[in-house]
Amino acid sequence: MIYVFDGAMGTMLQNAGLKPGECPELLNVEKPEVITNIHEEYIAHGSNIIETNSFGANRIKLSHYGLAERVKELNTAAVKAAKAAAGDKVKIAGSIGSTGKFIKPLGELTFDEAYEVFYEQISALVNAGVDMILIETIIDIQEMRAALLAAKAVTDKPVICQLSFNSDGRTVTGTDPQTAAITLEAMGADIIGANCSLGPAQLLPIIELLAANCSCPISIQPNAGMPHLVEGKTVFPMDAEEMASWVPKLVEAGATYIGGCCGTTPKHIAAIKKAIQLLTPAVRQHRKPMLALTSRSKTVFIDKTLPTVLLGERINPTGRKKLAAEIKEGNFLSVKKEALEQVHAGAHLLDVNMGVAGIDQTKAMSKAITEISQLVDVPLAIDTSDAKALEAGLKAYPGRALINSVSAEPERLDEFLPLAKKYGAAILCLPISPAGVPKTAPERVAVVQTIIDHALAIGMKPNDFLLDALVMTVAADEEACIQTLNTLKLYREKFGYPSTMGLSNISFGLPNRPLINSNFFTMSLAYGLDAPIMNPYDTAMQEALLASSALLGFDKNARHYSLSAANANAPTKAATAPISEMDLLASIKTAVINGEKEAIAPMVEKALAEGHSSTEITDQCLTAAMNEVGIGFGSGKLFLPQVLLSAEAMREAFIKIKELLPLQNFQNKGIVVIATVKGDIHDLGKNIVGALLENNGFHIIDLGKDVELDTIVKAALEHDADIVGLCALMTTTMPQIDFVIDALKKAGSKAKVMVGGAVLTQEYADQAGADCYARDGVVAVNLAKELVEK
Amino acid sequence: MPIYNASLTSIDKSETKRYAGLSKVAFDEKLIDHACLEAQLLSQAKGIWQIYDYNHSTHTIEAEVPANIKGKIVQRHLQNATKIIVLAVTIGEDIENAVTDHFKANNYTHSVLLDAAATTAVEMAADMMEKTIRQYIEAQGYQTVMRFSPGYGDWDITFQPEMLRLSSAREIGIALTTSMMLIPRKSVTAVIGLIPNCGGSSSQASHDCKNCNKLDCLARKESSI
Repeated sequence: MIYVFDGAMGTMLQNAGLKPGECPELLNVEKPEVITNIHEEYIAHGSNIIETNSFGANRIKLSHYGLAERVKELNTAAVKAAKAAAGDKVKIAGSIGSTGKFIKPLGELTFDEAYEVFYEQISALVNAGVDMILIETIIDIQEMRAALLAAKAVTDKPVICQLSFNSDGRTVTGTDPQTAAITLEAMGADIIGANCSLGPAQLLPIIELLAANCSCPISIQPNAGMPHLVEGKTVFPMDAEEMASWVPKLVEAGATYIGGCCGTTPKHIAAIKKAIQLLTPAVRQHRKPMLALTSRSKTVFIDKTLPTVLLGERINPTGRKKLAAEIKEGNFLSVKKEALEQVHAGAHLLDVNMGVAGIDQTKAMSKAITEISQLVDVPLAIDTSDAKALEAGLKAYPGRALINSVSAEPERLDEFLPLAKKYGAAILCLPISPAGVPKTAPERVAVVQTIIDHALAIGMKPNDFLLDALVMTVAADEEACIQTLNTLKLYREKFGYPSTMGLSNISFGLPNRPLINSNFFTMSLAYGLDAPIMNPYDTAMQEALLASSALLGFDKNARHYSLSAANANAPTKAATAPISEMDLLASIKTAVINGEKEAIAPMVEKALAEGHSSTEITDQCLTAAMNEVGIGFGSGKLFLPQVLLSAEAMREAFIKIKELLPLQNFQNKGIVVIATVKGDIHDLGKNIVGALLENNGFHIIDLGKDVELDTIVKAALEHDADIVGLCALMTTTMPQIDFVIDALKKAGSKAKVMVGGAVLTQEYADQAGADCYARDGVVAVNLAKELVEK
Repeated sequence: MPIYNASLTSIDKSETKRYAGLSKVAFDEKLIDHACLEAQLLSQAKGIWQIYDYNHSTHTIEAEVPANIKGKIVQRHLQNATKIIVLAVTIGEDIENAVTDHFKANNYTHSVLLDAAATTAVEMAADMMEKTIRQYIEAQGYQTVMRFSPGYGDWDITFQPEMLRLSSAREIGIALTTSMMLIPRKSVTAVIGLIPNCGGSSSQASHDCKNCNKLDCLARKESSI
């Protein structure tokens, strides 16, 4: 059967005289007959399900009208008004909308606060007798999770979860329909759908994706197009017939609950009702159950038909004193760094372990999950043996996490499985029983069977499991490897669920562990390992994976392998080619121009050893190179970062010369006092000028940023500066330049004044009495040379 | 006061190159990657915004204490707006300190690239917040015109204290120097004009470097070539 919801409530209330700024839900008690009339009209036009006038009747939204204390009253009255119209003919859905605030870390509301707000409203609706709960127009998956959890805690009645998507096909906070469907179905949503924001045409592909990624019924309530404002009134452009013309396509895409959102009226509902008369629900093609984990914005599948998935193991303080100490102090910078770098190195999932002795695990896990999920988009595994820490992590996580791990020990089964079910997490099944670690493959299979039986008994699904094959040390037991490989094989034969394991334990106590590890890895992949838990920085393992993927048919035509191997053999930089005697000086010059910082010191050393003088190297190579770079920059062929790379290379060359010839006197072209003027806190541009001048033989006295006038004058006199360089970036700080120049003159300084900075111009420099204006660092060097020669 | 702290799960490399003045040249991608990763790690995006009625005849933001917008270009930019969003976004001070520290350690190039990546990050955070705002206001029948900030065009930077007041930027840790600079430096304040959607096409003006006072902006050089 295809069900028909009602249309917009807000549009109808506006037509009935609701003024902007008035609370729509207050009408439930002040004019309940108006609400009942609207419901009746929708029922008369064909609605099977009507939605209570309670969309904004949560504590936070009501507080805008000073009605926060009337949640129960307004929601109860909403249901009463609906019941008066519904009788036994139609069902009533209790409408729940957003609080209007984002949940941390996107916003300021805590997850628990959001949960409580929804719990209060849903309790009122359920107690008043709604038939189902409709959570709608939600744009953040985390808010949806809080509302869905609250609904499930209050009632066994069906819960419909409808998100609002943007025209790019995601919610504005980044969740795509596939990820939403997988996350919400796992948490027990009964019907999943989309409403508002878009019209039927734009919602169609979203409905298709929702339908393809869950087995729940699909609901849709489009807007009547995008609203226009005509003489202060909101008008929706799409008429009933046009809306109804989309219904066959929406049904074909999988929708069986259809209604309207903003701008739809009883006419639209009547047209939709008419359109469905001829239709039957589509036969949906469900893919076979497959383990999927999600983050806020991404889904990762793990299956034998798919390429290997890497679970990064580095966020784990065990045996890492520095990381443990930081976590203990509440500093998560290294944790975040590990997260970013593992993803950059190719991890598809990240394991998060906060096992530091003597800390509040719950708090640490919550913080780690919050920070990491805000930073990277790969799904996370929550790795803990503490049920409280696990729940804190699951709550904070805006997706479907993996729980690492559930063993067959009674406390794990009793505490962890219900949490997995509640929060829609998948579980990593570890074959350890109260009797200990089973040695043989059949014994491991039996223990895993126990875990799966318990999980299925509480309502978990076949796509909730990742099986750990368990790796023991081959040095202690020659059967260790064989048993693990057999376990992998048996898992696949008996269950068909994907498998995982940490690899490195195999080589414990042996020499040359990387060799054992990578060979073991290759064997394991051939035996069916789907998601290794490993260090993604380990190149030997990455290479083993690359080769195995090609061998096992996951890398079509071995394309990735070939590309990667070709890269590995490709020559790196021209400068690493052997340098002949003849062109050594030319090569140094080229290295500076190319900014080859690492290559330059050995070349300079060689040149000195061959009898070239430091002056020769400086003049013919370094200065000459910088001159060329400067010309390239001036003509727009080179850009600032390239100039700076050359400057860094030149600096390395100088350091080498000074190291080898400590008594060598370098020419001092002049003393430059440089500063960003008072009130101005930008100093990157000034620093660049300073660095380039220094490279060119000037002695730099850098006074920093936000420098007082007196300090500049004093330094200029004290150091008998040849040049004073002044920088200002803003129109508000530019006048300081005039004051400093005046003060320098009055104090009798003979220094020439060079000025520069974002808003400065030649004209300004002239009127302020500066000797020159430098538009950029390269110009500054040339001008400085001219100034000291004058 | 709505708060939206954007999640930056990547930093746009091509924008970083543009801000570093490198969009038209080949440059070591690893150095760009390195700067983008560090910017992502150190950015702590925070954002806050408020919506007001706007009187485009008197150029007044109708707050409890109203504020008048002066400057022909900005007034023209907002000429059809009937409401206005005032927003503030920051990515915090850590990244700024890292830019300084890298320069001090003579990693000039990385410092400049990190600064460009940080600019990218704060603009991305503002874009993401603007996206959530747009969904909210489009449902009410409005469309937006491009973000516009004090200091841009002929809008005097001395309006900055009003921007902080109207957006409540202090709540997310943004302060102002007497010389009208935002602290942390990688922060943005801006207004977005909302014009009633009458069914026609959007009057979204595109960015024009000529309107900007930041004459030494690396990105500006590029677009003028």
